[in-house]
Amino acid sequence: MTATAPTGPATGGTGPPGRPFAPAAPVPAAARPVVTGLGVLSAAGHGLDPLLDAAAHGKAAFGPVTRFDVAARRTTRAALLPDHLLPDHLPLDGPLPLAGIVLDAIGQACRRAALTGAQAAALPVLLAVHSDERTGATTRAVAAGTAARWGAPGVTRVYTGACVAAATAVADAAVLVATGRHERVLVAAGHLVEPGVFAVFDAGRALARDGELRPFSAGRTGTLLADAAAAVLIEAAPAAERRGAAVLARLAGWGRAGDAHHVCRPEPDGHGLSRAIRSALARAGAAPAEVGYVNANGTGSTLADLAEARALHRVFGPHTAELPVSSSKSVHGHALEASALLELAVTIGSLGTGLLPVNAGALGPDPEIGLGLVLDGPHTARPRYALSLNSAFGGANTALLLAAA
Amino acid sequence: MTATPPPLPAPAAYGLRVLAEARRPAPGAPGAPGTPEEPPPLPGFAASGFNPLVADTAEHCLRARHGAPPAPGRTALLLASRSGDRATARAIDRAAEPGRRTAPLLFFQSNPNAVLGHLAARWGLTGPVVAISPAEAVPGEVPADALDAAALLLADGDAEQVLLIAAEATPDGHRAVAVLLAAQPS
Repeated sequence: MTATAPTGPATGGTGPPGRPFAPAAPVPAAARPVVTGLGVLSAAGHGLDPLLDAAAHGKAAFGPVTRFDVAARRTTRAALLPDHLLPDHLPLDGPLPLAGIVLDAIGQACRRAALTGAQAAALPVLLAVHSDERTGATTRAVAAGTAARWGAPGVTRVYTGACVAAATAVADAAVLVATGRHERVLVAAGHLVEPGVFAVFDAGRALARDGELRPFSAGRTGTLLADAAAAVLIEAAPAAERRGAAVLARLAGWGRAGDAHHVCRPEPDGHGLSRAIRSALARAGAAPAEVGYVNANGTGSTLADLAEARALHRVFGPHTAELPVSSSKSVHGHALEASALLELAVTIGSLGTGLLPVNAGALGPDPEIGLGLVLDGPHTARPRYALSLNSAFGGANTALLLAAA
Repeated sequence: MTATPPPLPAPAAYGLRVLAEARRPAPGAPGAPGTPEEPPPLPGFAASGFNPLVADTAEHCLRARHGAPPAPGRTALLLASRSGDRATARAIDRAAEPGRRTAPLLFFQSNPNAVLGHLAARWGLTGPVVAISPAEAVPGEVPADALDAAALLLADGDAEQVLLIAAEATPDGHRAVAVLLAAQPS
């Protein structure tokens, strides 16, 4: 792969370093990034349309895990890709199936963006995948495939930071575009449910005992893991306009903040997440009341969902009760390092269709949550801004703010 | 013949200034490659010495700058590791083997963010929490990819400082270096 070769600062990484601007300074409108390409594979099927249909109607995609033995686990369900979408590369615990689905998503995104070879030739590729003994091989396979099919120079950077890995990559891509370092950046991510991570999530009692992912609901018992791959092309608005590319959504703002609280538990009052949201709003120059939809992190965890709800109340105040909120994980599951990009894809698609994702699996209100959950679909809305939120181990929080094209 | 690795760029080439630095094991000190001493244990991180070394290296770096917790201002955390925590990754893979009891503590060790959460909580670090896997890394040195990522975090403005920890698993043990970085004055 032709990744960030340490041959010197002039050629390595994402470009020459620049000067910092003031914290959360509004991004000039002409420099704001837009999304012009998008690809996705999920348990709902191949491409964005089946995923949007499932999200709009609250059709959860969970089923029994048959790919490996789960007889010894408390939880035996996940949201897995249909077998026909898995590349014919075996064994399934090797690196190539993951690279295969990531390359499929990249192909969808590049075709949708109508990217030419010349435009792809210098394209930075930011990849979010799980950190394990297969990370390097997966990255090399994605780099080789991207170079061979699209002429991109390889994988520029690999993000392994758990459930905010892909959102971190999106924020970095936004900075690269907004600061003029690159006209366009491709962000890709992938996750396949595999036996080891499934076993330790099960042993850590993170998985839903009742086999359903019920974000923010009374009676929620945990999350469910998911397969997914997704890719987005983020581009400077003037560059997209010059080449006549169709804009799917504007990436109006982004923010990142840490809890400074615990190795894996969220800060109970959601202070870190609320700072990430405020940072995203500040970059967009948007007021909280202008946000018309939140695709929440909502993993189905008792503690984390409550902390997230408190963060939303802190930022949106009296507006919170009318603010439509759902976690699309309730439909497509938790794809760990790929989750943020999968949820960004759902949010972008929902801005396009005007149909908000349903918060599936709800059994009834949790009085401590107090959110305006989207419980029935199809729910029609045309939000000016939509937020996609993610949180992770280590107290990491990200907020991506989208605006309709 | 072994190829000579290309020279590593200085942080200044990325518009960064180094506020503090620490290396573990310290050259020639107990715990250096070939010596048996390990960094202090880190509760909950039992599967390997990787995360205890990350925490110990970061601790030395932060102490050199701030003395004692908390650190003032907003500091981002950036962990860069090409190898990752191999021993823990293998333990997680083995967790699914038939008949094996899975240790619940492996759950939160299943990703590199967890040790950063320990550091953030101890020192009050409220900036972004980021983990990357550079394509090229020399054990005990800061990869160019990580300097570039740190510069980007500072350019974005959600933190005024970045604590960058580069850690690698090698056949001779784990090696880590931590640098506390800020942007050079404009």
